[in-house]
Amino acid sequence: MEKKATPFLPLEMIIQILLWLPVKSLIRFKSVCKLWFSVISDPNFANSHFLLAQTNSTRIVSISAAPPQIRSIDFEALLNDGSASPNPNLWLPQSYFPLQMKGSCRGFIFLHCSSNNYLWNPSTGFHKQIPLSPIDSRFGAYFHYLYGFGYDQSRDDYLVVLLSYDPAVPAHFKSHLEIFSLTDNTWKKIEDTRIPYRGHYYYYYYPKVGLLFNGAIHWLVTHHGSSVTVIVAFDLMERKLLEISLPYSFVGHHCVSDIGLWVFGEFLSLWAMTDGIVEIWVMKQFTVHYSWTKTHVFPIGAIPYFSPIYSTKNGDIIGTIDGTGLVKYNGQGQMLGHCSYCDDPRGSQVVMYTESLLSLPGDHEQV
Amino acid sequence: MAQEASSSTSSKTISLKTGDGEIFEIEASAAKQMKTVQRLIDDLGDDITIPLHNVFSKELPKIIEYYKKDITGEITKDFEAEFVKDLNDDEVKVLFLAANYLDANKLFEFLSQNIADRLESKSVEYVRKYFGVENDFTPEEESKLREERAWSFRGIKEDE
Repeated sequence: MEKKATPFLPLEMIIQILLWLPVKSLIRFKSVCKLWFSVISDPNFANSHFLLAQTNSTRIVSISAAPPQIRSIDFEALLNDGSASPNPNLWLPQSYFPLQMKGSCRGFIFLHCSSNNYLWNPSTGFHKQIPLSPIDSRFGAYFHYLYGFGYDQSRDDYLVVLLSYDPAVPAHFKSHLEIFSLTDNTWKKIEDTRIPYRGHYYYYYYPKVGLLFNGAIHWLVTHHGSSVTVIVAFDLMERKLLEISLPYSFVGHHCVSDIGLWVFGEFLSLWAMTDGIVEIWVMKQFTVHYSWTKTHVFPIGAIPYFSPIYSTKNGDIIGTIDGTGLVKYNGQGQMLGHCSYCDDPRGSQVVMYTESLLSLPGDHEQV
Repeated sequence: MAQEASSSTSSKTISLKTGDGEIFEIEASAAKQMKTVQRLIDDLGDDITIPLHNVFSKELPKIIEYYKKDITGEITKDFEAEFVKDLNDDEVKVLFLAANYLDANKLFEFLSQNIADRLESKSVEYVRKYFGVENDFTPEEESKLREERAWSFRGIKEDE
């Protein structure tokens, strides 16, 4: 009996195929054989896979409150042809709820719950507990908190950064900066100089999470002394705060209904909404004030709310509509499409992330 | 007086001979996209028929078709979907090997993605058969792995 020969693919070629597979398939295929198990577990493979996923498939996690439902959505596919059905396989222990997602980095999402924090990889299901900061444990809901989560490449370390302050004491205003290093596994207070920043005026209505960009965590804050809105960036390598002023037309006169930061292409970008018209500014040279450039102004049309989160390779702008859906505009401000992913009219929390097989440093096999 | 240098490669065609003896023509600018072919042209000249021992008459026309579209900038998602639509998993694998041999990067990358798409929801058994890989786990080891990662085994396709 003639056996039909199956063409033999060398391992290097097989790896080129594996790099395109989603995390769920890769984890299943660890059972193929011992060699595949070790290739897929290799940190270099996880790194290459993550880098490829970063340029090719960013997703969002949507968590709605009641009933608690967690979805992972390929939002570009959902907008383009509505075919991508949300991945329902995400799960978190009931005890974590209620929770807030306060940032994502390299496939991990930082979760803040009332009694604990967690780092969670939605692709692999891995989760790790992280203590609350000393100030959070001590002052709880009395304080205001601005969280950020990022990665320090120079030390292969994940950092949680927390800017907190007591909103009830305007006269002797003092805010605190604490950071948690995953490799040190401890919170440290950054003592240095006065940090005269408080959350943006709209803290309660639109609590913003720190934006990770260029190795620094950025927040929109108010300078306590002058009441001017500025951007403050915490550099994760230098471990220092840096202030970035907004474009001049924002100083004083602007009567915006909402404002936010996001990454537009390769640039730090500011968006502002006034009377249903969105303005987008881009900082062409990071920290160089005169490089702020207004790039888009357009009416958002018949949707109740718009918050840009992502730009596609050809310059289209995708944003969330109040945590219930997504909308896409092209560079000329024309609406290209919109879709809904959440039935709960109260909306859901949304965080962008990339699928990853990465493990946290120092931990043994996590996937 | 020295002869005028040979005309620009853009309008010239190159002859390629497959491992099973058939000859196909390809524009020189398309041949350039396949580094192995370009190296052979550099070594042997562009006037002779280039021998491609590891590519056969079933695959080469498909590859030529892809690069014909590439040089006119017409490769779209629709074209790529059409291109692989009627190929079964084994035919794609052979094409993938040919693209690798020819060092044809764009096609290689596209086919890696396509094979990954085809394998995404397949079972472990199917993948072993597809790549000719032996299972070297003991039954106990394997059932432990599956148990620990049970969630990744949900929703996979039935093997044909």
